[in-house]
Amino acid sequence: MVFSSITFLFIFLPVILVLYYIIPDKFKNVVMLSASLIFYAWGEPLYVIFLILSILFNYVCGLDIGAKQKDLRKAKLSLVFAVTVNICFLGFFKYYGFLMDSLNAVLPVNIPYRELPLPIGISIYILQAISYLVDVYRREAEPQKNILHLGLYISMFPQLTAGPIVRYIHIEEQLKRRTLSTRRFGQGAVYFITGLGKKVILANSAGNVFEHIWGLQAGHVSVLTAWIGCISFGFQIYFELSGYSDMAMGLAKMFGFEFPKNFDYPYTASSISGFWKRWHISLGNWFREYVYIPLGTGHQGRSRQVLNLLIVWMLIGFWYGDSWTFLFWGLYYGILLIMERFWWGRSMKRMPSVVRHIYTMALILIGWVFFFSPSLGAAVKYMGVMFGPGASGFIDKQAFFYVTTHWLLYLTAILGSSTAGYRGIRYIIDSFEDGRAKKAAASVIYIGIFLISIAYLVTEPSNSLLYFKF
Amino acid sequence: MTEFLKYVTLTVIIGYVVLLIVFTSGSTKPFQEIEQGVENSIDTEKLEKSDMQALKRYYGLNAADYAGVMLYTSESSMSTEEVLLIKVKDDGQMQQLMGTVERRIESRKNDFEGYSPKQMQLLEEAQVSVRGKYLFMAISPRAEEYKAAYMKSL
Repeated sequence: MVFSSITFLFIFLPVILVLYYIIPDKFKNVVMLSASLIFYAWGEPLYVIFLILSILFNYVCGLDIGAKQKDLRKAKLSLVFAVTVNICFLGFFKYYGFLMDSLNAVLPVNIPYRELPLPIGISIYILQAISYLVDVYRREAEPQKNILHLGLYISMFPQLTAGPIVRYIHIEEQLKRRTLSTRRFGQGAVYFITGLGKKVILANSAGNVFEHIWGLQAGHVSVLTAWIGCISFGFQIYFELSGYSDMAMGLAKMFGFEFPKNFDYPYTASSISGFWKRWHISLGNWFREYVYIPLGTGHQGRSRQVLNLLIVWMLIGFWYGDSWTFLFWGLYYGILLIMERFWWGRSMKRMPSVVRHIYTMALILIGWVFFFSPSLGAAVKYMGVMFGPGASGFIDKQAFFYVTTHWLLYLTAILGSSTAGYRGIRYIIDSFEDGRAKKAAASVIYIGIFLISIAYLVTEPSNSLLYFKF
Repeated sequence: MTEFLKYVTLTVIIGYVVLLIVFTSGSTKPFQEIEQGVENSIDTEKLEKSDMQALKRYYGLNAADYAGVMLYTSESSMSTEEVLLIKVKDDGQMQQLMGTVERRIESRKNDFEGYSPKQMQLLEEAQVSVRGKYLFMAISPRAEEYKAAYMKSL
């Protein structure tokens, strides 16, 4: 089930919310966990059993690590065992096919294999399970004795399929007690509607343009059309990922939880390092906390730091997808970040902010070409069109058509991906002096966004989720 | 105790994954090979191979979005018989595809409800199977036979 579906919006969510609010506090976690498992089983009836077994395994391993804390060597061995098993399962489901395909590409014989579909959300919940185990090992958190609480942490439906990846220590207390209030519920609803609008109105529309341009025949695409395609994908992925994160944060608030911010207007960044401080923040934090810092960075020489950065960025790229293009995409950012840190970062600061912003956006868009292309060859070919050699010309009727028919979409997308959109809404609301008028204005705006989103959902059949690939 | 329990749980998980591989995994054979396996069993007197425009018309899907598509429909507008085989390019497409197929079956039920109990029964007994990147659907009196041919060809 996806949040941006009629079933979720008009059946699942209202039923769960009513049930959650009317039952006594001591049963709220039971309702939340049951809802999460039903939500997951809706799309993955077989893998929900794997999810439950995974919760059970990590629950026992957490207790085991906790029981061995007096002997650090034993505790460490227990942690290594548990983390290795989790990584092996993630590796099996996500990278087994990629490994076999890569082997078959170089071996003289074709090795047949049986492939399994990727369980939805496995890239998220395995990282969360590892976070729990490491936090327990580091004594930053107590081993969770209540399997209901741990089950809820690993499988909570607002963030199960698309994150944000919440660190265990940040949510440990909320699993025991949390506050419900109409104010928080209202804030949650605003977040949710904003995210829904981002996904359904902006991401799906930008995605349609991208799909159309991507499907054009080679040799019939102008430079401008190729850039429009790339920009459309940039908007699609941003609004889809940040929209889903906003919906997750909103749902969490409605149920009394607080999730950390996952996207903070990344396209307003004026450097690549700034972009990654604003893009998929929870993923970056997870890799910094559980991979980068344990690798020993900070106390090592420059060459070791460079190596560690490359390892981390290769893993981040690989987390996003199981192909060479994602690996390359990760390395591409690793190299850019190394260059900014050790080479041109200081001189960049002296440049005008417009130049820095153009530099950042150009590199981000080039990065998206690796991200959306099925192979490195296809990426190079597409870039060939973007930079001229493979293009049918600089501008053609198609490019003109896209600009004239989609200018409103791009204008809205630019406003929505910068703080201008939010400031504009605030300006309208704050222009009313009376408190009731402000509330009425806010209601009109957000109900309007909700209704437009529903209209898009009903009329637009394509509503897939890029996150299902991760 | 926890030491023992974690190995027990791990064993259960591995056992479950093995069951998933045996009963739900797809095949890496080329699409044409699977398609051929299914086509060999199809009753071509009642069903004819449709072009990709039919896929767009009946399912709202673009064949180019998938790694492989095979669609057989009935020549008669009074029959609901249909066989569909699709290989998705990535796992993300499968959820949406399953929804599309379910909607197609529901839409056909609406067309034939209260009008042809025989066709309604075929729709009620439609065979839908997802194995790895393959989705198979058959609406036919021989649906089970077609499904068996599909499973064998994987």
